[in-house]
Amino acid sequence: MKQQNDDLQNLSNTEGISTKFLYLMHIHDSAFPIGSYTHSFGMETFIQSDTIRTKEDLFQFCKMYLHENVAYTDGIFVKESYVTEDMSALIRLDKICDANKNAEETREASAMIGKQFVKAVLPVSETPSLEAWYQLLQDKQVMSHFPIVYGLYAKDLAFDLYTAVLTFLYSSTVGLVHNAVRAIPLGQKAGIEVIHRLIPEMEKATKQVLERSLADLSNHAVGLELASMQHKYLTSRLFIS
Amino acid sequence: MEGQLALYFTLRQQKTIMKDVYYQPPLKASRGLYVHNPDDISVYLMESSGGLVAGDTNSFDVKLDSGTTVTLHPQAATKVYPAYNGKPSKQQVRVELAEKASLTWKREEVIPFAESDFSSHTIINMKCDSKFYWEEILYPGREKRGETFTFHGCQTQLEVWMEDDCIVYDQLSLHPDKQNLKHAGVLGNYHYIASVWLIDQDIRIDPEAWNETTTDHIVSTTRLRNAGYLVRFLSNDLPRVKREMDQIAESTKAVEN
Repeated sequence: MKQQNDDLQNLSNTEGISTKFLYLMHIHDSAFPIGSYTHSFGMETFIQSDTIRTKEDLFQFCKMYLHENVAYTDGIFVKESYVTEDMSALIRLDKICDANKNAEETREASAMIGKQFVKAVLPVSETPSLEAWYQLLQDKQVMSHFPIVYGLYAKDLAFDLYTAVLTFLYSSTVGLVHNAVRAIPLGQKAGIEVIHRLIPEMEKATKQVLERSLADLSNHAVGLELASMQHKYLTSRLFIS
Repeated sequence: MEGQLALYFTLRQQKTIMKDVYYQPPLKASRGLYVHNPDDISVYLMESSGGLVAGDTNSFDVKLDSGTTVTLHPQAATKVYPAYNGKPSKQQVRVELAEKASLTWKREEVIPFAESDFSSHTIINMKCDSKFYWEEILYPGREKRGETFTFHGCQTQLEVWMEDDCIVYDQLSLHPDKQNLKHAGVLGNYHYIASVWLIDQDIRIDPEAWNETTTDHIVSTTRLRNAGYLVRFLSNDLPRVKREMDQIAESTKAVEN
């Protein structure tokens, strides 16, 4: 932890910055125990209806997920959480995030991942915002949605806002690709190709998110929302949501 | 134009009455009608201009005292004319529900014409034991004139606060020039977005009864956090959407009775 703190205080040291980035890579590792790789957020409904069958279908789906969903919802919550200082305003933001997720499974998944994230990073990081947040979580004052706590974590570790949003969009989208490769199924090579094609889209989406605020939230990805609502009625399921 | 309509309902000898009405054209309210029973007052919301022109704002303020039951019926769909001057047309709805008050706002239909720009914000403040039912259909435009998603922008926001808890924060912001509306995850080939919000801690419906996908109609239901349901539609079959909305409304009445 001392090394981690030293790195954070040494922003002019590129070696330190590179080392610091490893902490962020670590929490996005598929083995990091927050459960994000057990959720499809409605994608599995599209896979079972054969709407997503090929590598190109998967790319187009993830591009839609990025630009029409995450960049209008969770990406904005990461940004708002990062820039909001007042704790009561953060509690309100968490409530709005909860209410903004109409589909029950997606709402539960986001809160579940957020809670696991706090529990996983607190013992190994010095994050004053998350320590205060954990107390609120224990007092049942917050649902603790993942984009909210991710924004707090990134700010506490002194990552810039662009990096915070970009890495959140990266992990949200890449997690879906990894899941799709198993569920469709597609080869690992196809998954790698899709991720490489998505990276420039992530950059574009991040720039858009940085221009947006709560007033720009939008649930216009209605097909995805309906797919998430219908997920619980699938006869066989690989994923929780 | 700046249309305003403020309605205040209270109880008099256990009967809901419309105590105060303030209006500014083009908005106006009908007198209160007791269609089903003396406990439930129905009021028609009238708009005499024929639609919202660019720069127009219509504002509704509705307040229900404790124990009142009210049904509001928009008389016609909200037609939104082109925004040639670059100004959006706006609608604002503010509702205050006291303890055990119940408000049903029947189908709010919005038809954004080609090149129009519409923005609506509906905010509800309610108590844990009050009830709020809201129906909405968003059209793609005047389809018979070949207008489907030819508007500049159409944004509707519904915000429901139950005391300190946010129950609904749903904004649909459609900008056909900037968004990939045709992807199956967005609107696909469907033209109508419809929603039935049932905000009521006591209500129980069968979500599986409203869960179906066909080539021209999708409907599904989700539980809102401890406070009711959303039934959402994507459809090309408008008569079916309206029929199913009516069936949902009837089924909730049957539960209440």
